[in-house]
Amino acid sequence: MKIDPILLSVYARTFKSITDEMSISMEQTTRSPILCEAKDFVTGLYDAEGRMLEQTENLPILAFSLAPVCKHIRATFGDEIYPGDVIFHNDVFSLGNQNNDVAVFKPVFFEGRLAAWTAVKGHQADIGGAVAGGYNPNATEVWQEALRIPAVKVVEKGKLRKDVWELIFANIRFDIVRHDMQAQIGACTIGERRFVELLAKHGREHYEAHRDALFDATRRMMEAEIAKIPNGRYSGEGRVFYDGRHEGSAFTIRVDIDVGDRTIRFDYSRTDPQTNGFVNGTFTSSASATILTLLQMINPDIPHNEGMVLPVEIVIPEGTILNASYPKATTFGNHLCPPNADAIQRALAPALPGRVTAGWNNLLCSLTTGIDPGKNDKYVDIGFMGLKGGSGAMRGTDGYDHIGMIDASGGLLDQDYEMFELQTPHLLVKHEYLPDSAGPGQWRGGLGVETVFRIGSDDTQMVTFGDGDVEPAFGLFGGGEGTLNFIRLTYPDGRTVVPRNKDLITGVPKGTLYHQQAGGGGGYGDPKLRDRDVLREEVRNGVVSPAAARDHYGLAG
Amino acid sequence: MGARIGIDVGGTFTDFILTRDDAPPILHKVLSTPADPSIAVVAGLAELASMAGPARDAGAFVASIETIVHGTTVATNATLTGTGAKSALLTTAGVRDALEMRRGIREEQYNNEYTNVRPLVPRYLRAGIRGRLDRSGREIEPLSLADVDEAIARFRREGVEAVSVCFMHSYANPAHEAAAAERVRAAMPEAFLTVSSTLLPSIRFYERVSTTALNSYVGPKLNRYVERLVARLAEAGFRGTLLIMQSNGGVMAPEVARASPALTLLSGPAGGPGAGLFYAKALGRDRAITTDMGGTSFEASVAVGAPLLVNDGEVARHKIALPMLDIHTIGAGGGSIGWLDPGGMLRMGPQSAGADPGPACYGKGGALPASTDANLVLGYLDPDYFAGGRMRLSVEAAREAIRTHIAEPMGMSVEDAAAGMFRVVCNNMAQGVREVTIKRGWDPREFPFVAAGGAGPIHSCQICNELEIPLQIVPRESSVLCAMGMLLSDLQHDFVRTFVADLATLDWARLAGLVDEMVAEGDRQLAAERIPPARRRFAVKLDCRYVKQYHEVGVDVPREAIRAGDSAAVAQGLHREHNRLYGYSLEHENAPVEVINVRVQAIGAVDKPRHPEEDWSDADPASARKGSRDAYVPEEGAFRSVPVYDGHRLRFGQRIAGPAIIEEVTTSVVLTGGWDAIVDRYGSFVLHRKGREDLVAAVSGARSKEVTA
Repeated sequence: MKIDPILLSVYARTFKSITDEMSISMEQTTRSPILCEAKDFVTGLYDAEGRMLEQTENLPILAFSLAPVCKHIRATFGDEIYPGDVIFHNDVFSLGNQNNDVAVFKPVFFEGRLAAWTAVKGHQADIGGAVAGGYNPNATEVWQEALRIPAVKVVEKGKLRKDVWELIFANIRFDIVRHDMQAQIGACTIGERRFVELLAKHGREHYEAHRDALFDATRRMMEAEIAKIPNGRYSGEGRVFYDGRHEGSAFTIRVDIDVGDRTIRFDYSRTDPQTNGFVNGTFTSSASATILTLLQMINPDIPHNEGMVLPVEIVIPEGTILNASYPKATTFGNHLCPPNADAIQRALAPALPGRVTAGWNNLLCSLTTGIDPGKNDKYVDIGFMGLKGGSGAMRGTDGYDHIGMIDASGGLLDQDYEMFELQTPHLLVKHEYLPDSAGPGQWRGGLGVETVFRIGSDDTQMVTFGDGDVEPAFGLFGGGEGTLNFIRLTYPDGRTVVPRNKDLITGVPKGTLYHQQAGGGGGYGDPKLRDRDVLREEVRNGVVSPAAARDHYGLAG
Repeated sequence: MGARIGIDVGGTFTDFILTRDDAPPILHKVLSTPADPSIAVVAGLAELASMAGPARDAGAFVASIETIVHGTTVATNATLTGTGAKSALLTTAGVRDALEMRRGIREEQYNNEYTNVRPLVPRYLRAGIRGRLDRSGREIEPLSLADVDEAIARFRREGVEAVSVCFMHSYANPAHEAAAAERVRAAMPEAFLTVSSTLLPSIRFYERVSTTALNSYVGPKLNRYVERLVARLAEAGFRGTLLIMQSNGGVMAPEVARASPALTLLSGPAGGPGAGLFYAKALGRDRAITTDMGGTSFEASVAVGAPLLVNDGEVARHKIALPMLDIHTIGAGGGSIGWLDPGGMLRMGPQSAGADPGPACYGKGGALPASTDANLVLGYLDPDYFAGGRMRLSVEAAREAIRTHIAEPMGMSVEDAAAGMFRVVCNNMAQGVREVTIKRGWDPREFPFVAAGGAGPIHSCQICNELEIPLQIVPRESSVLCAMGMLLSDLQHDFVRTFVADLATLDWARLAGLVDEMVAEGDRQLAAERIPPARRRFAVKLDCRYVKQYHEVGVDVPREAIRAGDSAAVAQGLHREHNRLYGYSLEHENAPVEVINVRVQAIGAVDKPRHPEEDWSDADPASARKGSRDAYVPEEGAFRSVPVYDGHRLRFGQRIAGPAIIEEVTTSVVLTGGWDAIVDRYGSFVLHRKGREDLVAAVSGARSKEVTA
């Protein structure tokens, strides 16, 4: 079949508009702030074989989280896939990326044959297990973390399997999860309608020919990008601090990158072994981290489909901290992205000095639950606004202020302040840029933020998870480090508590002051070379203090 | 009905359309006067007077005008070019960076070179003021007037022109904002002031502070403009009604625009989508891509049945939570300046030469090459017939600017450089059209492409070539399309109040009272705008959601349902709308519903001009031929001699084969090699790809209907 170059672009853009529309539907209809405000979900379109046609990755860490599962589901059910089916999946030992990230898949049939899949994966407010919200720093096995959902049909041929549905939700704490999963099914249905319309317009054969052409074109684009990286082997490291169980523990991620003419291979074989805590990656979460870091170093306009990943090989041996073996705990796995990205940036810095960034601020997050006394109702809040520090600088561009960790890259939105106070009993005291938090450099790192709020519920429970409170974001080529993360609670009686970076604090009383700093990103190049006018403006705006301007940047007067 | 005039004050040109019951519309265009745009308005009216009839005295003509409706891009241009007022912000202590943080978004997640947008208020002019309300509007810390005074003193020292006041939860209790505003008024009487609880009393801090700051940022410029305009019109003898086009596609009184300048952020282009759809309907189509290319910017919008509206728009990456038409704007116009980026690549815009000094060919001191300069070199414009010959263009100045800044550095001929500029600016505009079509799943080839704006029909064939669109409409009123659309618009005022309540326990009496208040406010406004009661309509919407959702769905609710406390009607409305938008509802779950905002839309219907129709002409179009000249034909990549027609002499039914140039006083239609054109009964040019005569069957169909009738 003859390929129409304009239609090829119409297909590509239409795929994108379908996944975008599914994403808008999710954003507008889900109830957990993790989904509707922080947009911790991905919507995707896959061909009949499970190959990625397009995705809307609100958080880049989800870049590679659905296609492998789609292929797994296809293999699991074989011929027993019918129009009207809905399949759930979260199991990290069959290619899930994180227990809380539950996927919904819906097969799309056209003229009686399977033509494609629509899918939505979203981070659920709860997924059973020992701790509400899923982050259980004491877990050593998956069952202490979550309900495992291998590929399960909850709707078959359009009929809800009520028993299965009830089994799942009998194991989940919050009712909103039930509704949010319904929203995910709704978004899949919207994608299904649009895709069937598209097929009806052009026919299956036409679509398939153009799909293949699209994969080819994208693969060639990706190969051309890889060709720009000098061939060779590049190695780098990133560090992880504390596994939630062993005080002072630390782990190293080691990557060896082999760049060929048209292929790139990431080998993590030298990475430290898995832990006996929940700080372990899954293959899918770790591979996503690798891909998103690579994507930031190349042309950002490259389409996200199967063709993009074909030239990329990723080797992560089972049993390492990036690919835990059954039945290890893994909830923290997505958050191994920052040190993984650090390892890649450091490795490729000599090869791609104009494309890599200095270190990004790593996340340190808190999750608060309790009873809102004004409403006598349970609330859950994930402190998105507090966790977002600055990105690393690159040659020619300052780091981005208050962007958040690299796995989200600015896709994770702050709670709106007024919505935060409407939906929790807390009172926001401060949320502002943190002066002098950015790593100095000819191009400075992004600024971090300071967050203070007064807790409005008694017997409040707080889970912390993250890193970045031991080692700051690194500078590159003479640039300086960013600042560290911390969280501190000041109780009404004056007592202060500094939680560990993976911790569970209970019984926090009403009136406690929550204080958090998210650090800045690393700087790039010699700070003495920074543009003086820009620097003076920053001093005037109070984001760089006069002392720092003098000491770090050598600004006279 | 008497004379009605639509006036669209753009960055480069000020467009006029005069409609009367007893005569065909008259179009006119004068150069804008950016230093004081009202000068051009009054000057244009005087010129219009002389065109409106023999020996019309300008004063008598202006006195006879019943209504003037006009749109302005003053606010838009100030935002896009970052040349708004030096602004300051009084906000709640501890959250002064919200405006700049924009909730921490980076729109391009994989692009590490993508930087944040420059804040509307620099950090050193964002003052955190102590004083706090909680979520119910209860005061938990009194407002510190000392903080306010200290900030005001600083603002005065810094020469601040505009101040915004936006405190946490002010939608629930405006007292703190009102008190702070009072101090600002007293100490800075000259400063433009925006109070968030007055402009947009609805929940969501970032959206509100951004909208408030935008209002202040564009306020002084827009106010100075409206003030002078009103004064000059009065001076010229105008005694009719002046209305201003607003972003939602409706019109409003000047007093409303002066208090809420942010309502004009899409004022200029807002007449376009409705007008574009009007012409598409004349061809029997219910949809249109409407584009408008002026001197500074290019707008694209889509109508499917009706122009599309959004409640959470953006202007230059700043959120604006006032309802507005969904129009995509890019910095591409006749004044767009061509330049070479550090990599040596040719770029066009977004910087514009505007009207003053304007493109190099205007001979007003501009030395940089603009899109219009390229059009002149390519033969698309006649140096002696620009604006009907009232302005002579200098080909030599255009060539010199292109030679110095583009051709020589790139090592190519002036002609090739001009063709490159033309291609790049057309490609930019084609991308803009993709944003509103392909990116949203619409295939642009299925839409008639309405080309408007003085510079639009010069580029539209090339844009349609790139997008493979086979059908274009260049309305007779193309050069003043938005001005035309303004005369087709009703008065429309949108009111919003946050009213957070569970549907099950809602205080209906209070809600009905609030709605009555809002309706009364709209009623007063329409009365002040001299709309008779019989022509006033009010529509109520409740923004509802299932409890613990974060986003609301607007549900139409009849006022009777509110008076009757009919919660089932509201819930049903939510289920229905939720299902239509998102593919499911929670009707069978009995999920609790909450109300967040109440919206009232007040509409005052105005008379619309009649569009006169022409008689079919069998005459040979050769009689309208003015001559020929060398022009660049992109399909051939070469210059050749092409016929030039006088558009004013072409009549319903006449056909022109491309390549050709059709000249009118206010625009040129450049028919490139792959296109033919036919004139329809309204005098619009309908262009179709060669061989696709089937697409214009409706044009000649209109003739046979006349014959049988």
